[in-house]
Amino acid sequence: MNAWLLVAPLGVLAFAGLGIMLIDAFSPGRAELAGVTTTALLMAGLISVVALLSGVDPGELPRSLRAFIAVDHAGLYFDVVICAGAALSALLAGGYLKEHHLERGEYYVLLIFSALGAMILARAVDLITLFIGLETMSLGVYCMIAYRRTSIRATEGALKYFLLGSFAAAILLFGTALIYGATGHTDLAGIGNVLAAGGADARLVLLALALIVVGLAFKVSAVPFHMWTPDAYEGAPTPTTTFMAVAVKTAGFAIMLRMLITAFGDPLSASPETGWPPLIAGIAILSMIYGNVAGLAQTSVKRMLAYSSIAHAGYILVAVAVSYAAREQAIASVLYYLLAYTVSNVLAFGSLILLGSRGKEAVTYEDLAGAGRRHPLAALPLVIGVLSLMGFPPTAGFFAKYYVLTTALSIGGGMVWVAIILVLSSALGAYYYLKVIVFLFMKEPQAGAPKAVPMRSGYVAFALVLAGYFVIKMGVTPEPYLRMAVDAAQSFIS
Amino acid sequence: MFWEYLPVFVMLLVAVLVAVGLFVLTSSVGPKKMTPEKAIPYEGGSETTGAEGLRLSVKFFLTAILFVVFDIEAVFLYPWAGLFSRLGWIGLVEMLVFLSVLGVTLAYAWKKGAFEWEK
Amino acid sequence: MEFAIGIYLALASALFGIGAIGFLLRRNALIQLMSIELMLNAVNVLLVAFNRVHPENMAGQVFAFFVIAIAAAEAAVGLAIVISLFRLKQTVETDSADELRY
Repeated sequence: MNAWLLVAPLGVLAFAGLGIMLIDAFSPGRAELAGVTTTALLMAGLISVVALLSGVDPGELPRSLRAFIAVDHAGLYFDVVICAGAALSALLAGGYLKEHHLERGEYYVLLIFSALGAMILARAVDLITLFIGLETMSLGVYCMIAYRRTSIRATEGALKYFLLGSFAAAILLFGTALIYGATGHTDLAGIGNVLAAGGADARLVLLALALIVVGLAFKVSAVPFHMWTPDAYEGAPTPTTTFMAVAVKTAGFAIMLRMLITAFGDPLSASPETGWPPLIAGIAILSMIYGNVAGLAQTSVKRMLAYSSIAHAGYILVAVAVSYAAREQAIASVLYYLLAYTVSNVLAFGSLILLGSRGKEAVTYEDLAGAGRRHPLAALPLVIGVLSLMGFPPTAGFFAKYYVLTTALSIGGGMVWVAIILVLSSALGAYYYLKVIVFLFMKEPQAGAPKAVPMRSGYVAFALVLAGYFVIKMGVTPEPYLRMAVDAAQSFIS
Repeated sequence: MFWEYLPVFVMLLVAVLVAVGLFVLTSSVGPKKMTPEKAIPYEGGSETTGAEGLRLSVKFFLTAILFVVFDIEAVFLYPWAGLFSRLGWIGLVEMLVFLSVLGVTLAYAWKKGAFEWEK
Repeated sequence: MEFAIGIYLALASALFGIGAIGFLLRRNALIQLMSIELMLNAVNVLLVAFNRVHPENMAGQVFAFFVIAIAAAEAAVGLAIVISLFRLKQTVETDSADELRY
């Protein structure tokens, strides 16, 4: 019976989502939906933590379930990261939507089902589950971007993301259909076995691999499949942007690892000369350089954070690219990075929400001018957030980058050059992160410009305190989190 | 083989005959008087002002979207119905769970006023 | 009779290609939406054809069912977004969606 604990997080979210729908339909405006949503998400995350620590035997679950949904430690780890990201986004939404008079129940329903989709995607061990999870997550996110119907920018961002996202999903799907045709399996382990035995047409496999990598690279916003990122990030309501940056990205990397390691782990596909490692490394280099260079020219902080998310996708891809060799270490550093990135991003986006009130959002550097001197306490989370995104010790972001860097260096060869690009490009990116701090403390708003006033919201404050605590904690004592990541990584390989 | 399916063909024939017959009947028996007024495209009693592209109300889109989304779920009912006896109780319970999830979404759409033509 | 998978592979690729080219060349959001549907249906042809090659289980056909259902949901969301853009801008041309530039 205990084994059901392993899939309970998914069930909790499904029930909570349906429950919130009914509450919203039959007694609208009665319940504090942001609180209910956050509680449900935190509960699901907590169940995952308990299941991680208690070491339940998954063998008791029916085989028909295990064939589609992973019940390993990696799956639980991703549950924790996604639930944390989604819960913090729900808290931010609780403050943001009220401030902008957008508080309606459907936002929380969409958020919770998107989080469920992301968790299913991160746990997918079958091509069918992969597609269902991907679309459940994406369809919710499209709606959450277009949520502010009176805003042309939001609708445009949603349309761009929707059209390109569906196009990428179709390409991914064509790839999965080809790999099914080549191997006769839809389960990733079965595909891996057939490929390892050399029982598939190599041309078909390579074509499928390329199409699948394109589709997944789109979801994690890596160059050259990033075109939608700045527009969608800027147009969306900020809590949605937060959710996209943390949960969608985490799920995208989770399924990328599962695909590349479980299904395409055979010597031919994972060959460091002609397989996916050089392809991924190339995408990583482009993303790191483009994200950091294009970020320099931005006047909007929200847009800058979008380019920053492209650059971070590049850093994580460096670790993915070497996962064919230093398996455990590389996967663990990806997992650690995703957790650190989640809390840092919530801090950065949450502070932008906090600093913009009275219906006006603080989105440009000018909006932030002098806010740090007028309201030092409200500016503190933004400072910690950008320092962590920059990779400044002692924050979570520093160790995340450090682990990726040491993993890449341990491989040697061409990866040393990739590691050098990582360091140089992130040094370049430090400029636009520091610019935030400069504007906060050393600039004054232009005469007549509206001054940013922090909003008063218990939800936003709670989210920032929570995220800030973990950013510092993971920066000061990273060992327990790293141990968790290594433990989850081991379940990937076995 | 052919004789086995004879009733089906008979039914098909009757259906076609009834459909065609009704068309022929109404157009031949009914009175027809063409006047100049009748030949004008109808527009609320006033003179026609010219061709306007057919613009459908957004209400049609909403209804169409709802229809497509609910209708397509039947795709999962067909294979289930085909294997109904072999799947047994577990299959029945699983289908009931699926249908109750659909039921919740239906109740939601209803309560939110998605099915009301006049708002 | 030998099952000729090549024909179905060619058909699916052609459909997929037409959809992809339509998506990239046309600038009408509704037509782009239709192109995506065409691409998804090309995948369905492929899945069902491959199921004939691998008849051990019905995985391909089941997969196709899910693709059909999800494509409908995707079309619904897509149409909703297109309609709300139309309400704001009175057009469905994607080139006119140029508010977000840096």
